[in-house]
Amino acid sequence: MSRRSWIGLATMIALIGIWFLTTATGLVSTMRFPSPRDFWSALHQIATRGYANGTLLAHSLHSLKLVLMGFATAVVTGVPLGLWMGWSRKAEAAINPVFLIIRPIPPLAWIPLAILWLGLGDAAKVMVIWFAAFVPSVINTFAGVRTIERPILEASRMLGTPRLRQIVEVVMPAALPMIFTGLRLSLQASWTTLVAAELVGALLGIGFVLNVAQQDIYPGMILVGMATVGVLGWVTTRALGMVERRALAWNVAARD
Amino acid sequence: MGSIRFDNVSMRFGTFNALEGINLEIGEKEFVAIVGPSGCGKTTCMRMVAGFEHPTGGTVSVNGARVVAPGPDRAVVFQQFALFPWKSVRENIDLGLRNKNLPKSEREDRIARALKLMNLESHADNFPHQLSGGMQQRVAIARAYVLDPSVLLMDEPFGALDAQTRVVMQEELVRISRVNPRTVLFITHAVEEAVYLADRVAIMTRRPGRIKEVLDIKSIREAEQWDKHSRIEDVMDIESFVHLRTQIWKSLREEKGSDAV
Repeated sequence: MSRRSWIGLATMIALIGIWFLTTATGLVSTMRFPSPRDFWSALHQIATRGYANGTLLAHSLHSLKLVLMGFATAVVTGVPLGLWMGWSRKAEAAINPVFLIIRPIPPLAWIPLAILWLGLGDAAKVMVIWFAAFVPSVINTFAGVRTIERPILEASRMLGTPRLRQIVEVVMPAALPMIFTGLRLSLQASWTTLVAAELVGALLGIGFVLNVAQQDIYPGMILVGMATVGVLGWVTTRALGMVERRALAWNVAARD
Repeated sequence: MGSIRFDNVSMRFGTFNALEGINLEIGEKEFVAIVGPSGCGKTTCMRMVAGFEHPTGGTVSVNGARVVAPGPDRAVVFQQFALFPWKSVRENIDLGLRNKNLPKSEREDRIARALKLMNLESHADNFPHQLSGGMQQRVAIARAYVLDPSVLLMDEPFGALDAQTRVVMQEELVRISRVNPRTVLFITHAVEEAVYLADRVAIMTRRPGRIKEVLDIKSIREAEQWDKHSRIEDVMDIESFVHLRTQIWKSLREEKGSDAV
């Protein structure tokens, strides 16, 4: 482990120590914030016997599935749209005004409409996650195309590169570092939105666990739900980072 | 095939007259360098031949045909190399050949020859970021040469290199262009470089950019047998070289005096 990782680990241990001391001494009431013991017993309960219709694994997999579906839909639609807007001034002129109006609407404001259209099931949640993750994908891909250095594009034209090949072999790879920045932000937005979407009309998922635990006045379980989102978000971000490092091996700026 | 012609070319950016009354003919297999102070529009001249920019007056033609768009018959070597960092050396050189839909065996042949010409054989599978600036510019030159273009356009190609590498590349370019002569339009602000490389040197003035005079180097170079010397510093010591260099410097300096601030 590197020196940096050790420092990070030490901070974590210190925080848990403070947590333990403040709750054990009664400085913080366990009715407001759970002690490590409460947290552990809630974790044990949901992992083995289950809570709110399912075990921790079932809730996690369900949430993960929704996030990945929303995120994937956003990437598959957002990146091509961003490429198109970056490539064609006409496309930008046509789409940008619509985008500027839709963009400031918080993704969560779409929840009522999504439920009206698609009901209380998973489809509505995926739609809301998609909206949230779509915007950063489009904007960063667009910016990535627009900031390609002019000589790179001129070199490609000078070599007589046909349009489709130019997009696939020159524009896309040149914009890829920015595209990945967009994907990271999209993934973050997906997790943020998931929890909110699951607070309404869900039967399974981490957001649902949080909702039930709040009604049960069960601080330990609330903390378990929060920690699970944190861990899942971290794992998926790490996975995306590994894909990025592999895809951008040529990019010196992205190393170290 | 490979002639370039500027016919009364002018270029205005808004109210700014960048180029005015440019007339220049570059014959087949002739190496012409344009020197001039920065901002005189010499790069714009090259970019119009490449088809990246279009004159607001007059015509630029290559092989008698008016230039309308960029194309592989006019290969460009850029100052900042402009290699594709996600492609290996071989893939960078191959792209132009693939665009011509050449069969694989012919592409491989031509790539092998280009790699050999530029002494890049051991770097074919490296990526640009693994190479020094000089090596990267070799790749860019190979990428242009491999297309067998009718004209080669070089925009201060050694401007981003350190002094030692620059000298090596200049000697290399002389070697290549003697073995394998091309029509070359070479843009530079380095007077020695222009005299050393070119058959003719066109001197440009500023605001508006015009061609002040064109000097014949080739006849002097041949009469004085500069090519007997393989090292640039030996050539630069020859009296006729020194004389030409001084002549160009004076011409450029008169220019600076005239638009004194």
